[in-house]
Amino acid sequence: MISKLLISVFSVPFLISFLIGGQPDINFTKYHNPKEINKFLVDLVKSNNTISRLHKIADTPGRNSVYVVEIGDQVGMKNKTVPGILVTANFGGINSLASEASLFLINELIKSKEKRSGFTWYILPVGNPDAAWRYFIKPLYADKGNSKPINDDKDDMTNEDGVEDLNGDGVITVMRVKDPEGKFISIPGNKKLMKKADWLKGERGIYKLYSEGIDNDGDGKYNEDGPGGVDVSLNFPHLFKPFTKKGGDWPGSEAEVFGLFKFVFSHDDIAMTMNYGDTNFCLIPPQGGRKSQVDMAKIKVPERMGKFMGIDTDRTYSMKEIMEVVKNIVPAGFEVTESMVASFLGLGAIVNPIKGDLKFYEKISENYKEYLKKVKLDGKRLDPKKAKDGSFVLWSYYHLGIPTFSMDFWTLPKVEKKKKDKNAITAETLEKMTNEEFLALGKEKIEKFLRSVNAPKNIKAEFLINGVKNGVMTPKKMAGFMKNMKKPEDSSAGTPEEIAIIDFSDKKLGGKGFVEWKPFDHPTLGEVEIGGISPLSKIVPPKSMIGDLVSKQVPFIFDLVGKLPLIKISDVKVVDLGAGVFKIKAWIENRGFLPYPTEMGKKNGRIGSVIITLNGKGIKLLNGKRRSIIKSIGGNSIESVEWLVLTVKPTSVRIKSETRIASSDSISVNVGGKK
Amino acid sequence: MKRNLIIGLILIFSITLTGGEKFSPDKVTIPLSFDYYYSYEMVVTAVKKLNKAFPELSRLDVVGQSDEGRNIYALTINNPKTGKELDKPGIYVDGNIHGNEIQATEVTLYLANYLLTNYGINDQITSLVDRKCFYIVPIVNPDGRYHFLKDGGTASSNRGLRRPKDDDGDGLFDEDFPDDLDGDGNICVMRKKDPDGDFKTHPDDPRLMVRVKKGKKGEWKILGSEGIDNDGDGKINEDAEGFVDPNRNWGFDWAPDYVQSGAGDYPFSGVGLKAISEYVVNRPNICMTWLFHNTGGMFLRGPSTKSQGVYPKGDVEVYDFLGNQAERMVPGYRYLISWKDLYSTYGDFGEWMSMTQGTYNFVGELYMSSQETFSTIKETEKKKRALSEDDEGGGGFFGDKRLEHERLRFDDHLNQGDSYIEWKAFKHPVYGDIEIGGWAKLSTRLSPPFMLKDLVHRNASAIIFSAKHTPEVSLEILKPVKIGKGLYRVRTVLSNTKAIPTMSFHSKLKKLYPEDTLKVSGKSTRVVAGGTLIDKYTDKVLYKEYKPEVQFLTVPGFSKVEHQFLISGKGEVKFHYSSRHGGKLLKTIKLK
Repeated sequence: MISKLLISVFSVPFLISFLIGGQPDINFTKYHNPKEINKFLVDLVKSNNTISRLHKIADTPGRNSVYVVEIGDQVGMKNKTVPGILVTANFGGINSLASEASLFLINELIKSKEKRSGFTWYILPVGNPDAAWRYFIKPLYADKGNSKPINDDKDDMTNEDGVEDLNGDGVITVMRVKDPEGKFISIPGNKKLMKKADWLKGERGIYKLYSEGIDNDGDGKYNEDGPGGVDVSLNFPHLFKPFTKKGGDWPGSEAEVFGLFKFVFSHDDIAMTMNYGDTNFCLIPPQGGRKSQVDMAKIKVPERMGKFMGIDTDRTYSMKEIMEVVKNIVPAGFEVTESMVASFLGLGAIVNPIKGDLKFYEKISENYKEYLKKVKLDGKRLDPKKAKDGSFVLWSYYHLGIPTFSMDFWTLPKVEKKKKDKNAITAETLEKMTNEEFLALGKEKIEKFLRSVNAPKNIKAEFLINGVKNGVMTPKKMAGFMKNMKKPEDSSAGTPEEIAIIDFSDKKLGGKGFVEWKPFDHPTLGEVEIGGISPLSKIVPPKSMIGDLVSKQVPFIFDLVGKLPLIKISDVKVVDLGAGVFKIKAWIENRGFLPYPTEMGKKNGRIGSVIITLNGKGIKLLNGKRRSIIKSIGGNSIESVEWLVLTVKPTSVRIKSETRIASSDSISVNVGGKK
Repeated sequence: MKRNLIIGLILIFSITLTGGEKFSPDKVTIPLSFDYYYSYEMVVTAVKKLNKAFPELSRLDVVGQSDEGRNIYALTINNPKTGKELDKPGIYVDGNIHGNEIQATEVTLYLANYLLTNYGINDQITSLVDRKCFYIVPIVNPDGRYHFLKDGGTASSNRGLRRPKDDDGDGLFDEDFPDDLDGDGNICVMRKKDPDGDFKTHPDDPRLMVRVKKGKKGEWKILGSEGIDNDGDGKINEDAEGFVDPNRNWGFDWAPDYVQSGAGDYPFSGVGLKAISEYVVNRPNICMTWLFHNTGGMFLRGPSTKSQGVYPKGDVEVYDFLGNQAERMVPGYRYLISWKDLYSTYGDFGEWMSMTQGTYNFVGELYMSSQETFSTIKETEKKKRALSEDDEGGGGFFGDKRLEHERLRFDDHLNQGDSYIEWKAFKHPVYGDIEIGGWAKLSTRLSPPFMLKDLVHRNASAIIFSAKHTPEVSLEILKPVKIGKGLYRVRTVLSNTKAIPTMSFHSKLKKLYPEDTLKVSGKSTRVVAGGTLIDKYTDKVLYKEYKPEVQFLTVPGFSKVEHQFLISGKGEVKFHYSSRHGGKLLKTIKLK
């Protein structure tokens, strides 16, 4: 009933039908599986072929196609003049909401010329379709792996021991079994949850925990080699971790990721990325604090290199000092760059976001928080996840060198720990009370106290009051009883996430977010109990929430793209120096909020410079270059270029500014009067 | 389409160019000769002819195409009569990943030629070819070799992949190559008479120059490599081909271009390299790998960066065994650790091989220009003293200037001047009257052809030695001992008589792939218990709790592994040993 009501409330904005007939229809009242999404994309492009185009970038091990849909007024053009925006979603596969958000964006762009104009939009709705399917197939379990067969336990078989839905409830949860070697206990205050016994607190383990299933290959391990393969979301190059169970053999070892490499590097117009998944760079700027391989101000030169360079290897050097030395020892004409030297010395990569970039991230985070207030989505919720090593967002920031944003759209609402009532009666306060003080509390307070300590229901306030009055009971005695009494269930025991999911499950999921522990007769483990948190319910919100969440948050991207650098020629001045010699000065302006390029982009050199060309008939260049280079222009900043030219006759020169990602501009000026 | 057309035209053009005498593919005959360097087309002809001449021992595959669409070939040497390829230890050998390092190809061709032409003649080679499988990729970078030999260049040009890159950041790609101004096929050095120059003529040899002391008058200004300012930006030769370094583009410990120039946009952006990686991954029997380069006279092993730490002790022992032997076989070459003794590299092929594929890998840096000697015994001794003790030879990264005199005289008298281009006057559009001269393209990093045969034979011998030391495992089933009613104790011994273990210590540590298996099966028998025998005298066994009939193990080099099984029942019992690198074995016994 409630959900029906919700749908009808939201149906006006969210049951979106296209304005033009014959176009695919999509609504945001359910999650779409990868097949439905791909069909939607194919149909969409068919009926909108002048403004959209489909790129198949990979076939997955599970035989799903990964598509990028291109939307904009310049689709199909080879040398686009507007910046490209790459929006990716759901590399983890289990972030179904992220895919819906990308579909919502696609829909907005197709519907509105105003929204799509000025940019080329490249949108990848499902980065990991193999894993994304898991949400649509029973039993439900959280596994980010694609379908590449991986021999997880390195035995003589592959994918031979996956999970089983033993209790038939459609969800894979946990089996707990009493075992002399068990290390887990149920949390004293919250019997639903399990924790590791802490011997320091005098706790002793009771249970062993297993994921739900049987030991298919009889090796004594349970579900240790299921069908899940490589986690696509960890397969990108920046800080890629080799030799992990799920990260893949090397960065780009997975078709999904390698396909994206090829796509990105063949679309040089991409000026910004936005990833929909489990991190949120709009809210929390990229995090630093990683230990860097080398301090660039104190470089230690290996002994052999030191000998070759003729320097003392006991002390350290700055890059500048090293460059001076190197320049003197290489043969003439051999140009040495810092990057060549850095690689000779093995100095390694930048691992923390650069300060200058954090400035714009922090400002944008302020804007975003205000935005969330406006759309009333600023309630307290669990933090988004931190960006993991080997993730898309780190690759985009560090290797692509362009503004990189991400959104997570939803996490569980935070459950505030109940503040302790300072006036509440405890065993300690009770112990020190006199009979009179106790009686002075009054019936109401005493009753409240009894219920708060989980006293048996038949014990009422009157019973205690009479007891004290009759002298058979004292507050001190009561404190003694209290200490021996079972502690009440404490809903705040457990991790914040556990508390949040149980609360959310009770309030919004009709209890379906948690499977109550129930006994099960296991073929090899004997009597076990199966239960626990339903794994996807803490990641994927109920479908009734999709529409509200995406329609309110996705449009923030239109604010963001408005902040991108925009390079224009703001002014040109010609000064006549006499004798046919003219000084030409052009001011090149970045009208955007964001710098061109980012500090990281400057460092990695991937985003080319702004190229300023000067062309004109009958002019001779006395100073300056026909192709001048401006390496960077800060946000809302200006740079200039100068030339000295000689011309006999009045002429016109054309000055052009060109960038890969921040548009182009040109202007003509007369030199020596009108021609 | 247009690109294919251009490549097609280039190919046709090149055939007509090389159609003449020396570089004609028709000149390639079996057995191959190693008197001079083969062009790309000649190498292709050579592998095709080898394959044709030895069809029962070899197979020719096209691994993939290069960035410009040239085929990358692999020649497999295996005797199918003695077993399938994947059931034998595999040795992978390649060369010429850097387009200019061409003699590396000759080493691989020599190895193929030597193994095939000596099969059935030399007992050791016959036995080796019967027991091992060789995968030989003579040219990893065919575009590089093609352009190196065809275009004007230096000994270091055309090294990378043909993937355009904007080296000077002006928005244009590969727009200012060096130019072979005098049309002699070499990019040499340009110099101009200029009293403000930093150099003067060397007092002992007018071909050489020395730096003048600060404040002293100079004679020559060195203007850099031969060329003009093609794009009019005031710089000469600043944006030539590429540069993606094919030996920095592999997927292990890859770092982007700003960390190390030449990395490429992402791991395996080079299409040919990706094809080769897949070729290797599909041959899990490969356990020993050799990748040839020039120059410096080195056998390098990883790690290639310091941050990788150190290799496991067991692996270091194997490397030392093979590396020291290689040093003995190729005089003057040094066995070194790549990051420590040379420099750090990220994303190189060798480290990818050993770290992700679990092979033992050597990079062979062929040739040292210091081998170009022209001295009496006395002079040699004097020279040795003069080159200070701490100098490790090899000529440094740019050739040891102190040896240049001697190299010139070596060239004059042993090479009849082929390696050095005398200074000649030239009218340069910007600099005016200049001189062009210096070391020729086919010099410095490349041995003169007369020394080639010695180089290829010695290095191929180092490969052969390592191939002989790939695992050779035998399985022995000791006589069953009856220990109860219908219960037998059966002991097995797996022995490896060679240096290389059946799985590298690194692979085992990082769990790259499953260990070898020893499986016991029988129709009417059951393995009650089984495990590794720790001490055969005290009967100490590490029994495996579950599935005792399947044991996981590695047989280390020069070593053995023993197992003990308690088997109940009667009749035939089969013992299957299966290993990626140690082959497959089957033994059967009968319990009575």
